[in-house]
Amino acid sequence: MALKEPVLCKRIPTPPWGDPKDRHYVGYDEFVGTGGYEGLRKAITMAPKEVIDLVKASELRGRGGAGFPAGLKWSFLPPEDGKPRYLTVNADESEPGTFKDRLLLDFDPHLMLEGIAICMHACRLDTAYIYIRGEYHHQARTTQRALDEAYANKIFGEGSILGKIADRWPQCYVHRGAGAYICGEETGLLESLEGKRGWPRIKPPFPAVAGAFGRPTIINNVETLAMCGPILVNGVDWFKSMGKGRGEGVPPSAPASFGPKLIGMSGHVNRPGVYEEHLGVTVKTMIEDYCGGMWKGRKFKAAIPGGISMGVLATHEYEAPLDFDIGKRYSCLGLGTAGVIVMDETTDMVSVARNIARFFAHESCGQCTPCREGTGWMYQMLTRIEAGDGTTRDLDLLLEISGSMGAMPGTTICGLADGANWAVRTIVNKFWDEFESRCHKSAGVSLAVVGS
Amino acid sequence: MAWLMKNSGGMNIERRPEAYLDDALKAELEKTVLPHYPTRRAATLPVLHAVQDKHGWLPYQALEEVAEFLGLSPSEVCDTASFYEMFHLRPVGRHIIWVCQSISCELRGEHDIVTKIQEKLGIETGETTLDGKFTLMHAECLGSCGSAPCCLVDDKLHEDLTVENIDRILDSVK
Ligand SMILES: Cc1cc2nc3c(=O)[nH]c(=O)nc-3n(C[C@H](O)[C@H](O)[C@H](O)COP(=O)(O)O)c2cc1C
Ligand code: SF4
Ligand code: FES
Repeated sequence: MALKEPVLCKRIPTPPWGDPKDRHYVGYDEFVGTGGYEGLRKAITMAPKEVIDLVKASELRGRGGAGFPAGLKWSFLPPEDGKPRYLTVNADESEPGTFKDRLLLDFDPHLMLEGIAICMHACRLDTAYIYIRGEYHHQARTTQRALDEAYANKIFGEGSILGKIADRWPQCYVHRGAGAYICGEETGLLESLEGKRGWPRIKPPFPAVAGAFGRPTIINNVETLAMCGPILVNGVDWFKSMGKGRGEGVPPSAPASFGPKLIGMSGHVNRPGVYEEHLGVTVKTMIEDYCGGMWKGRKFKAAIPGGISMGVLATHEYEAPLDFDIGKRYSCLGLGTAGVIVMDETTDMVSVARNIARFFAHESCGQCTPCREGTGWMYQMLTRIEAGDGTTRDLDLLLEISGSMGAMPGTTICGLADGANWAVRTIVNKFWDEFESRCHKSAGVSLAVVGS
Repeated sequence: MAWLMKNSGGMNIERRPEAYLDDALKAELEKTVLPHYPTRRAATLPVLHAVQDKHGWLPYQALEEVAEFLGLSPSEVCDTASFYEMFHLRPVGRHIIWVCQSISCELRGEHDIVTKIQEKLGIETGETTLDGKFTLMHAECLGSCGSAPCCLVDDKLHEDLTVENIDRILDSVK
C-alpha cells in the first residue's frame, strides 16, 4: 500500500500528491506555518537522554548509505566534559544515482535544520557544520538562506531556544567541499573539514569518540536528520507504521526497515525523479506506478538499487523490495541511498561496468594500494573488453581483483573499495554471458572464478 | 583526483607585486570565516574558494599567501588544493563547463552532448578555447541524475540536456 501522505515531501510537491512544477523554497514562516519546528519545540521540553531514547525506539536507520541506527550512534558519545563537541551533517551527496538530499536542500532546508537542532540538543553538541559538496552551488545558497532565517529566529546563535550547550550558544555553519566523492565518507569528510585532503582515517577511534578536531563528533546524513522533526511530533508508533517491519519469527534484535524513504529514480524510465514511499516498496512499483514505466516502451533489464556502490539487480529481480535486507536476499551490497538506476533491454552491461569502474578509479583517494591499483586495473580491463580486445581470462582476473578488493579486512581503510568490488563483481556475475560473448577464448588456463 | 603535476624541483614561480589575497579580502575572511572554526587550518577550503572566486584560478603565489594567512606551510596548502577537483592550479577559461559523465547521464546520452560541445567549441575535454572563454571538463555525478544528462556552467546547473538545447545554453553565456 502506498504511503498515505508525504512526510519528507510534505512541503515539496511530489507525485502523486503534488506537481513538481509547484516546488518553491520554503522559508521560515511557511515552514513554521505548516508545523515546522514543532518537533524541536517538543524536544527541548524533554531531557536529552529521552530524545535519544525516542529516536532509538523509532529504529530510524541512517539514510546516507550504511543504514546504521541513528539513536544508537547518538548513544555512543562519551560523557560531556565541557569542551566542544560537533555535529557534521553529510550533504556531500556524490554517489552516482543519488540526488535525494539535494531535493531537501533546494526546497525545504529548514526540515534538515530542525533535525540538526534536535540532534544538538539530544547529544549536547555545540557546533554543527553542514558539509555541502562544492558542486551544489545553489543548494549552499538556499541552505545559507535558511540558516540566516534560523539564526534570526533564535534557533541557533545567541539566545537560541536550545539554551547554552556546554556553556556556549549553539552554532551552525555551512562548509563547502570542493569536488571529491571521498569526502562523503565520514572520516574523509572530517579531514576535509579540518582543511586537509579528504583521506579517510583508520578506525577506531570512531568519530563519536575522536572526530572533528579530535573531539566527539556525530555524523549524519541530511535525510536522516530531516526525519527527526516528524518523529518527535508524531511519535514512534506513527513512524513504525510505515516501511517494513520484521517478518514473523525474526528476533527483535535484527534490524528492520521502518519509515518512509526518499527514492531517487534515474535512468531509462519515463518520469525520473525523487519520490517518497515506504521502505520496502518494490523496484517494479517504483518504475510502473511512479515513473510511468520504462521509456520508449522497452523492457526492463537491470537496476542498481541504491547508488552504484551497491551492485546490480538482475532482470528477474525486478520485484526486489527496497529495504535494508535487499543485500542479503539479492546478492548485492545493500540499499545504500535508494538511488535506483534503471536500465532497459538495450543497455550494454560492459559499458555500464566500465563507466562504474572509471568512477571508482577516479575517486579512489589513493592511500590503500588494493583500492588505488585495483580500481585502475578494473577500469583498464573493462575498457579493453568493451573495445572487443578482452579474453575470457581477463574476466576471471576481473572477478579475482574485484573479489579481493576491500574484502580482506585491514587492507583498505574505507568502504569505497567494497563499493567498487560489489559493483563490478555483481555486474559481471549476473550478466556473465554478455561479458563472455564479448571476449575471445584465452589460450591459458583459467583462474578459479570467485563467486559472489 | 587532481594530482599536482608540476615538477616542483625546476618550477619557476611566476610572481606579481600585488597580492591575490589582498588586505580587504583578508579582513573580510578574518571576520566572516575564521570565527567558525577552532583552527585556522580548517578555513583552508573556504579561503581557497574565496581567492579562486575572485581570480578564476589559484596560482602558486596565491597558495603561498593563503599559507601565510593561515599560518601553514605552502606545501600544506598545496597538498590540500591539489586534492580537490574544483581548485584549478593552472589557468582556465572564463567559464567552465562540467559535463557529468557518470552512469545515469551516460545512460541518457551524455556522449552526444559532449561530442556536440567539442564540435561546437573546437576543443577536447580538458582544453580551453583559444579566446579563453570556455574550458570543457568532465565531471562525475553532479547529483542531478533524475534530470540527466546534465552539466554545470560555472555555478549554474543545466538539466535535461539535448544536442539542441546545449547549443542555446552555450550561446547565452556572455
Ligand atoms: C566512499 C563513501 C562515500 C560516502 N558518501 C556519502 C555521502 O555522500 N553522503 C552521505 O550521507 N553518506 C555517505 N557515505 C556514508 C558515510 O560514511 C556515513 O555512513 C553517513 O554519512 C552516516 O550518516 P547516516 O548514519 O545518517 O546515514 C559514504 C561512505 C563511503 C564509504
Ligand atoms: S579504500 Fe580506497 S578510497 Fe578508501 S581510503 Fe583506501 S584508497 Fe582511499
Ligand atoms: S549521474 Fe549525472 S548527475 Fe548523477
